[in-house]
This record gives sequence, structure tokens and C-alpha cells, in this order.
Amino acid sequence: MKASSTKRTIALALAAALAGSVSISMNVAAHAATVDLKMVAADYPGDGKTQQAQWDALSAAFHAANPGITMTVNVVSWDTIDDKVKTLIATGQTPDIVNKGDYSAPAAAGLLYKASEMVSASTLADIIPTFLNNSKYNGTAYAVPDLASARALFFNKDILTKAGITKLPTTWGELYSVLTTIKKKVPGVYPYALPLGPEEAQAEFSIWAGGNGGRLYDYTTGKWTLNSKANVEASTFIKKLVDNKLTEPNPAKCDRTACAQTLFAAGKAAFINGSVFLGSWLKANGGDKLNVGTGSFVHNTGQKAVTLGVQDYFTAYKANGHQAEIQKFMDFLYQPANYAAFLKAAGGFIPATKSAGAVAAKDPALAPFIALLPNAIFYPGDIATWNAVKGAIQQSVGLISSNPTKTLADLQAKAEAAKG
Amino acid sequence: MGAGEKSSAPISMVVLMRRKQLIHVSSKKSSLNKSRFGALPWIAPVIVMIVVMVLYPAYEMIRTSFHDVDQTGFMKKWNGLTNYRVLFKNPDLIPVMTRTLLWVVVIVLATVLISLPVAQILHSKFPGRKFVRYAIIVPWAASVVMTATSWRWILDSFYGILNTLCLDLHIIKEPIDWLGNTTQSFIWLMVVAVFVSVPFTAYVILAGLTTVPEDILEAATVDGATGFQRYRTIIFPLLRPALLVSTVINLINVFNSFPIIWVITGGGPGYATDTTTTLAYKLSFRDQNIGASASMATINFMIILLFIMAFLKVSKWKEASE
Repeated sequence: MKASSTKRTIALALAAALAGSVSISMNVAAHAATVDLKMVAADYPGDGKTQQAQWDALSAAFHAANPGITMTVNVVSWDTIDDKVKTLIATGQTPDIVNKGDYSAPAAAGLLYKASEMVSASTLADIIPTFLNNSKYNGTAYAVPDLASARALFFNKDILTKAGITKLPTTWGELYSVLTTIKKKVPGVYPYALPLGPEEAQAEFSIWAGGNGGRLYDYTTGKWTLNSKANVEASTFIKKLVDNKLTEPNPAKCDRTACAQTLFAAGKAAFINGSVFLGSWLKANGGDKLNVGTGSFVHNTGQKAVTLGVQDYFTAYKANGHQAEIQKFMDFLYQPANYAAFLKAAGGFIPATKSAGAVAAKDPALAPFIALLPNAIFYPGDIATWNAVKGAIQQSVGLISSNPTKTLADLQAKAEAAKG
Repeated sequence: MGAGEKSSAPISMVVLMRRKQLIHVSSKKSSLNKSRFGALPWIAPVIVMIVVMVLYPAYEMIRTSFHDVDQTGFMKKWNGLTNYRVLFKNPDLIPVMTRTLLWVVVIVLATVLISLPVAQILHSKFPGRKFVRYAIIVPWAASVVMTATSWRWILDSFYGILNTLCLDLHIIKEPIDWLGNTTQSFIWLMVVAVFVSVPFTAYVILAGLTTVPEDILEAATVDGATGFQRYRTIIFPLLRPALLVSTVINLINVFNSFPIIWVITGGGPGYATDTTTTLAYKLSFRDQNIGASASMATINFMIILLFIMAFLKVSKWKEASE
């Protein structure tokens, strides 16, 4: 009796499984006429909402104009997008388009379409040359820049007034004395918010090093220079700020968004190294009543003032062979109206196209940042091991606040050993 | 302990004998139900699940650890022990391994020590016992990520409720950054891990307590044994199977614990609060070295296997299955 009922169960299960597979194969047949494009996009801060709505609207408009192509955009937080994309690729679910902060590793692995295959010649011609130049691997552009940001020294005007400071510091020495004054005269406030936590430690480190003439990578020798004399000097200065309690305590665990920017938004920090979007971020995160000013970031005496330019990218993967469809979508995205909607949802960044750049140059919030760009240093994003080195820096560079020389020497060793 | 074991020997033998009878009866029953496939139709789904969800990924992991994998996740070629060599050269490995040992030993010990009295309280009869029992399940039932996130904000130096509490009670004068220095934050991580492990352990011990025969306890009371004597010579020895199970399961859980560390400190600053589990993740997703990460994961897997083998040996599985 038992055996026969088991048999019956197995037969039933088999029948169900068969029926299932038939319906699956029918589904496949029904979809064969259209192409499904899949995109994974990082979520820019915008006005506090996710960008999913903007991408969904754009996808719908694109599908209406191109009925043969459906577009699915998956918006992922900056924290997890690298892990997500890597997992998708490793498990054979490579997306067609990715929008995030790097491109060199997949370019080196030969996974990407060239920029000239991703967009039409006219769209490519509209991209600002500096940004396109930063999208190259071995001389060929493998990514199309989506937007860029530059950094400035943001300050809380009310705190400065309270401390009686009238002149904005431009050098390290001036900054040091200004911070000391604030510490004395305005208790309960951290003079400088220093985000050396993993989220964006590479940015904070790069801009301080840059202000001392230090770089992460030397293009003439083709070597990493993380523990160069200039970088160690800059780190030692940062340590001095920390040791004298001119920053928040334990900067190595202070992430940019949850810690430093939040302190600044709450009026608990006087200065912060902020990106172009910080203004709109503050408005959406409780800092709307803040009286904020910006100036160029501080540098060491005898060195040039620099800003850190950061650009992000669209990359297109060859895995699914959708080159023609990708190009259609990318051209659609770069049409001025659609691109403006993208920039608006992203929240106050510097555009990557000449046409949108001309409009942005008249925007009083953006103009000062665009003016800073000629002095911008960029990450060595075109080096294949950049992603690994960036990861190592994010992880450990916070330790310069206790031991600059050893931290940078360890990082240098790691960078040299990183594999492409 | 030695004296306790001696005097408890007859009792535990009685229990063992009873158990053997039970096993005997149940095995007779199951032999009646034997069909051509034995128990296969019933355990097949589990076997399929184990093969697909455990064995295959484990095989892939070990295979990856012997291959050259590029940053984007593509496997290139066999490269022998290179990944392991790279891993062993990592200056952070030895400190992380030492810390992992400390992590496992301290948490498991503390968990068991706290769970014993907790289980005893849950076992005694008092009004509202049901409510208390439910309340203790909560940290266990809640997602660990959720619990860890709550703790992260409880301990936050700027907005944390612990600081507010201590300031209001005038225990401290100014806010403390509880996760500020490495040692302190590692201790807090262990506290949270114990907090999460106690409910399960207490319940396993509670289940053990319910198997302690009332009549023996009564007899002991009649013979004039004090409460402590009863606990030491009767209850505790009978709890050994429950303690063994909960200890081994805790060993494995605590060793594999990822979310608590990841959410609260991210293993940082640097690698100062990492265990081998979070290090494996960082090797892959920060250093972009998937091969070395797979080697680390394989070593972790081997350590877990050792735990399980030790467990099976201690619980004498061979004898039981005969």
C-alpha cells in the first residue's frame, strides 16, 4: 500500500514538473521577439529619494520609442554595488549596462564594449574630452562618463562667526590655527569633520595628499606611490589634527555619510571636505537651515591648491551580445532632456556632456565647482588594479591617524602585490 | 566534579538503559515500515538540498582556491597552492586567526555560563513564566542583522541611547565612544554575540532540564540533599547531552558569525576586529583577490569540519548507530 502511494506521488510530481517546464519553454518562445536589456545603476543621493523612479520613467519612455526592447534598471546603493556587479558576473548573470565608479578591471579582462561601440559618434563627440580621457584603458575608451564631481572646503558660517574668524584658511598652517581658535571659542563643536572610515576614505586621503603635491600613482614610472614622502607628510599633518582633538574622535571609523556629513548637517562640525552634491544632500538630511559657505580646499605652503575630481561611468558588457540595443538606449539617455532628468535625479552633479555643461556653467550652485575643475586631480581609475588598491585604502588608510608611516608602507606593499 | 561524576554514575546508567530500550523499540517499528527504497523517498529532498546547497558550493569553493581568478570573477587557470601562499603572506592573517580563537572560546564559554542559570529560571514555576519564555526568544527570532544594527546605534557615540542613559544617570560625565578603541569595540562585539546566542542555548538546556526525572529529585530531597547538591550531582550530569549539543552548535555559529562584526565595526579600523570569516569576505570584495578569499574560506571550512568530527566523536555516534 505504502509503495503504491509513493509511486503515485512520484508520478504526480513528475507530471507537475513536466507541465512546469513546458510552460517555461513557452514563455521563452513568447519573449524571443524582444530583447531584454538589464542595467545595474548606483543610487546617487539626489533629493533623498532613490533614483529608481527616474530610471523606471526613462525605461518606459525608451520602450515606448523602441517596442522591441524592454529595459530593466536595478538601482543599488553605493555600499553594495561593487559586490553586486561582481557577483552577477561571477554567476553568469552579467548585466548589459552598469553605472558605477570604476571600469578598468573589466576593461582589462576584455569584458567591455568600447565607448565608440556603446554610443553613436555624435553622442561621443558631445562628451567633455577631459572626462572621456579618464575613461581609457591602454589608450582606448572603454566607458562613457555619466557625470562628475569636484570637492570644496565647506564651512558652517555661523560657527566661524562665533569664533570670530573672518578670513577663510587656504594653507595647512592657516587651517590649523583657525581650527584651534574654533576649538577654544566654540565648545561642543568638532572643528573639522574627518571621514577616514571605509566608505570614502580614499577621497579624503587623495585630496590631502594632493594638497601636498602627493599622488597615488606615478604615470611616468608606472608605479604606485602611496607611501611617497609627500603622502606621509600629509598623513602626519592629519595625525596632528587628530592628536590635538581638532577632529571628531576616532576618524578611522567615521564614514562619510553616516558620520562626517551627518555631524556637519547637525551643526556639530565647522569644516568638511565636501563634494559638489553636499548642498542638496544637506537640504534633504536635516541641514536645510544651515548657513553654509564653500572655498577651495587647503594645501601645504609652497604647493598648489587642488580639487579632487571624481567621475563615474557607464560601462557596457559584451556577455549578452546586445551591442545595437545598448547603443540605442545610451543615445536615448544622452538626449538633452533625458540626460537633464538623470542629472536632476542624481542631485546637483557636474554634467559630462558639452551641451549640458554649457547650461550648468550658468547655474550659480555649480559654477564655482566647474571653475575648480582645471586644477582637479583624478583617481588613477585607468589602472587595472585600481579597484583592489582603492579597497585596500578604504579599509586601512584610517590608521594614519595613529601611525602614518607604517600604514602607508603596508598599503604600498599591498598595492604592489595587487593583481589585475 | 570528580566526586559528582562518581555519585551520579548509577543515575546516568539508568537513563542510558532507558534510552537503549527506546532506541530498540523505535528501530523495530521502522523496520516494519521498510519499503524497497528504505527511507529514501522521505530523505531524498533533504539529500538533494544538501548536494545542491552545501556540497556543490563547497566543491566550487575548494576548486576556486586552487585557481587563478581575475578581479572581475573569471576563473583563468589552475595555479596550485599560489592562493594559499598569498594568503599566508598576508600580515593580518595571524592576528586575525588568534582573534578568531579568542572570539569563539570566550563567546561560547560565556554563553553557556549565562544560559545555565537562565534555563534554570525558565524551568522554575512562577507567574508569567510563559511571557518571560517568549520574551527570551525575541533576540533569537529577530534577524541578526537587525539586532546588530540596533546595537550599533545603541553604542553610537553621538546619538546612542547608552550614552544618553549613562549621562542622565550621572554615571559618566561626557559621551563615550563605546566603539572607539579596538579592544573596547571587540568586547562589545562579543557581548552582542553572547546576547544573540543565549536564547538558543538556554532553550536547549531547558529541554534538557525537562528530561530530568522528578522522582529522582524527590528521592534526593527525601535523602536530605540540599538544592546545590541536587544540582551538582543529579541535574548537571544529566544536562551533559544538552550542553554538548548546544556547545557544538554554538561553536559553529559563533565561528561563522558574520553580520554582528560586519554591521557594527566592519572588522575595522583596518583589520583590528576581523575574524577569519569577515577576512575572507574582505579579501574578495575589498582586495579583489577571489583566489585568496577562497583559500581562507576553505581553511574555515576545514576548521568547521574538525568541530563537527570532534562533536561526532564526543557524542559517540558509532555506538549509537549500531
